[in-house]
Amino acid sequence: MKKSARLLSLVLALALVVTALAGCAAESEEEPAAEEPAEAATVDTFTYAQGADPRGLDPALVDDGESSKVIVNIYEGLLKYNSESTEVEPSLAESWTISDDGLAYTFKLREGVKFHDGTDFNAEAVKFNIDRQLPPKVTEEMGYAGFVFGSVKDVVVDDEYTVTINLTAPNTAFLANLAMSMAAPIVSPAALEAGNNSVMETPVGTGPYKFVEWNKGENIVLVRNDDYWGEPAKTKNVIFRFIADNSARVLALNNGEVDMIDGIDATVVEQITSAGDELFEAEGMNINYMAYNTTTPLFKDQAARVAFSQAIDREELVTSLYQGYSDVADTILPTFVPGFDATVKQVEYDPEAAKAGLAAAGITKVHMITYTNPRPYNAATGVALATAIQGYLQKVGVECTIDTFDWTTYKEKVRAGDYDICFYGWIGDNGDPDNFMNLLSDPDPTMNVARWQDPTYQQMVKDALALPNGDERNAAYGEMEKYVAERAIWLPISHAKTLAAFRPQVSGFVYHVTGNVFLKDVVVAAE
Amino acid sequence: MLKYVIKRVLMVIPVMIGVSIIVFALMRVFSPDPAPIVLGQHATIETIEAWRDANGLNDPVVTQYFKYLTGAFKGDLGTSYYTKTPVTEEIFARFPATIELAIAAIVFASIVGILLGVVAAVKKNSIFDAAGSLFALVGVSIPIFWLGILLIMFFSGYLHLLPSGGRIDVLLKPAEVTGFYMIDALLEGNWEAFGNALQHIILPALALGMYSMAIITRMTRSSMLETLGQDYIRTARAKGISEGKVIGKHALRPSLIPVTTVIGLQFGSLLGGALLTESVFSWPGIGKFTVDCILKSDFPVVQGIVLLVAVIFATINLVADLAYATLDPRIKYSSKKER
Repeated sequence: MKKSARLLSLVLALALVVTALAGCAAESEEEPAAEEPAEAATVDTFTYAQGADPRGLDPALVDDGESSKVIVNIYEGLLKYNSESTEVEPSLAESWTISDDGLAYTFKLREGVKFHDGTDFNAEAVKFNIDRQLPPKVTEEMGYAGFVFGSVKDVVVDDEYTVTINLTAPNTAFLANLAMSMAAPIVSPAALEAGNNSVMETPVGTGPYKFVEWNKGENIVLVRNDDYWGEPAKTKNVIFRFIADNSARVLALNNGEVDMIDGIDATVVEQITSAGDELFEAEGMNINYMAYNTTTPLFKDQAARVAFSQAIDREELVTSLYQGYSDVADTILPTFVPGFDATVKQVEYDPEAAKAGLAAAGITKVHMITYTNPRPYNAATGVALATAIQGYLQKVGVECTIDTFDWTTYKEKVRAGDYDICFYGWIGDNGDPDNFMNLLSDPDPTMNVARWQDPTYQQMVKDALALPNGDERNAAYGEMEKYVAERAIWLPISHAKTLAAFRPQVSGFVYHVTGNVFLKDVVVAAE
Repeated sequence: MLKYVIKRVLMVIPVMIGVSIIVFALMRVFSPDPAPIVLGQHATIETIEAWRDANGLNDPVVTQYFKYLTGAFKGDLGTSYYTKTPVTEEIFARFPATIELAIAAIVFASIVGILLGVVAAVKKNSIFDAAGSLFALVGVSIPIFWLGILLIMFFSGYLHLLPSGGRIDVLLKPAEVTGFYMIDALLEGNWEAFGNALQHIILPALALGMYSMAIITRMTRSSMLETLGQDYIRTARAKGISEGKVIGKHALRPSLIPVTTVIGLQFGSLLGGALLTESVFSWPGIGKFTVDCILKSDFPVVQGIVLLVAVIFATINLVADLAYATLDPRIKYSSKKER
């Protein structure tokens, strides 16, 4: 009896405490409202909500977009992208020269730059960062080391602010690699030494924002770097919040709890705009495509592939599947990538010609494989895309069977190669045209899913990679696009747009085509 | 008694081993290979193999399991594939959030549940009873994530009264002492932070506590009804004791004994991490983390969390059993009988 009495009184006491505290909460709610009018016209905190925690904040050890968005505000690389395209511009390197043989890249570094820990940025720091990602120090967990620095032979410190990077083979895409948000950003060597070669949770860079804290599963707090070498950031605090549920993220925006969100799709657009918030649409650095297996008897001939492609009305397909949030792809390269050529045309929709062509090639049954989940380049899922194409082919008398798999199993199936047609896509890494166009010359069938081995094309890819950036190189990629389009190796479907939403008070952010968001100049006007 | 305690504690070990085997096997059978997820778009067949080797995934499953088990006995649960942070560190960074939410939910569930249960029992077969039963039925049946979304839509989206997710406005966050933001805020005397943390916890606690509330209501009602039917209650009434006193003192107290047990067990299950509630409310506890890690095939973390939850359950059951043995002299666990 006594025990239960004690319990009851405990419960009642808790109830009292809770009620009393609820009163306090109500009080504190009113406080900020009273203070606001006296403040200046801007708010000193900007909050960005994304779907998940970053994997980590060491640019050499991560490969995900959630990490990347935070990383680009803390670190800088030798080069950076133009804010509208993927052309490279100076950043920590003020200028650079390339030797005639295309093997030695010499960078003149910006002087007087300091890391957030107060140590100096110099040629030694650059060498330290690249060396940790080269053999013998590189580990298999450095997902982008091979991609970014795979062609590097060694790094030589010429003087305190000059560094030369020697390559094993000419590779013009190397410059674009140095502007990437993975592997390339320069980390404080002192911090790396202190952290046992990892700064996953203790990032130290040279960028406009400094790391303050990471509350796992909750948020990351950054504060303005007042000693920034350029113009300091406009807003004092930047907070990245992690809200997994899509509709909760939209609600947080509409409720004014966060200033900007990403990871949204067409289904919530109405909800965002009707609440008075604004939508940001950017072209995405990706391609969503259908690939013919050029090693099967069905599609080894160009005529059969062309006839099949003629059956598909891509305009109608893309509009109905993606509701305006993807553009029809007439090229493999997105429009903002150097080398994009507007004169490239894919096989035109012509059902009559398709019918005749397919009959002539004797094609009546086609085996397709596809994936069941949405992908960044295909929000509608591979199944929806395959089913739509199945419908077009039915109209011209071809029966398509579709096998569907989850993404991981699907990749295994693609590797096995038992298909006539498969669906795939690519998310660009460095904004260099080679990054997209070399997929079709790759010996690895999980990259080159059309399994197309054309020596002429492979030579074109190799030659273009060695050409210096400029008109000649860009033209070479236009030629390659035409060469592939004519042979109908892929049927490019669409380029997915990137969607973000923000409150009308927000301005000044740079939402880059690489999917990164640069917040140095972001401003939140007071309501 | 001591023998019983020792026996009971020893029995926890096979349970733990069983749990670890099941979760170990399930992750390996049903989860996709973590290597391509960890290594990303550029992973080649060679790097995937190298990574699998380095992480022991190419060893026979039995070898993998024994490696894991020996590590676990030493308190080493491995390192997250994805963040490369020790699993214990990852778990303990998030556990206070889960405990804080569980406490808030069980407080809500107990107060409301007992009140409703008492009213329903006292006013048996009245409109209050029916309403209480209906409420309890709804509480048991309503999908928690759906309730969570409704609460957010109404209180945040429509009324703009409460935040839609998170634990606190980060700029108000108190210095970490206990990891429980509300307690830390009190220790600092920071009322603004406390109020802010309280606002954040209300909706998730409501959503999470709804099921327990319903169970507690039902339990209180039936226990109360049983007590009210006892002879001594009739006697008390006959003596002319006021009805309030009869209910509050004579009937409620004994009725709460089974209710307390239920509250304890419910609390245990809430501590296991509220997967759905935490996901909907972006509550940074182990529940949300578990979901994230299952989706990423982060074997060591999922195994670690399941093991931890199993330990919590086993401990609560153990404590409950031992408490019965101490509290109720009629329950005899003596091993003498067996001899």
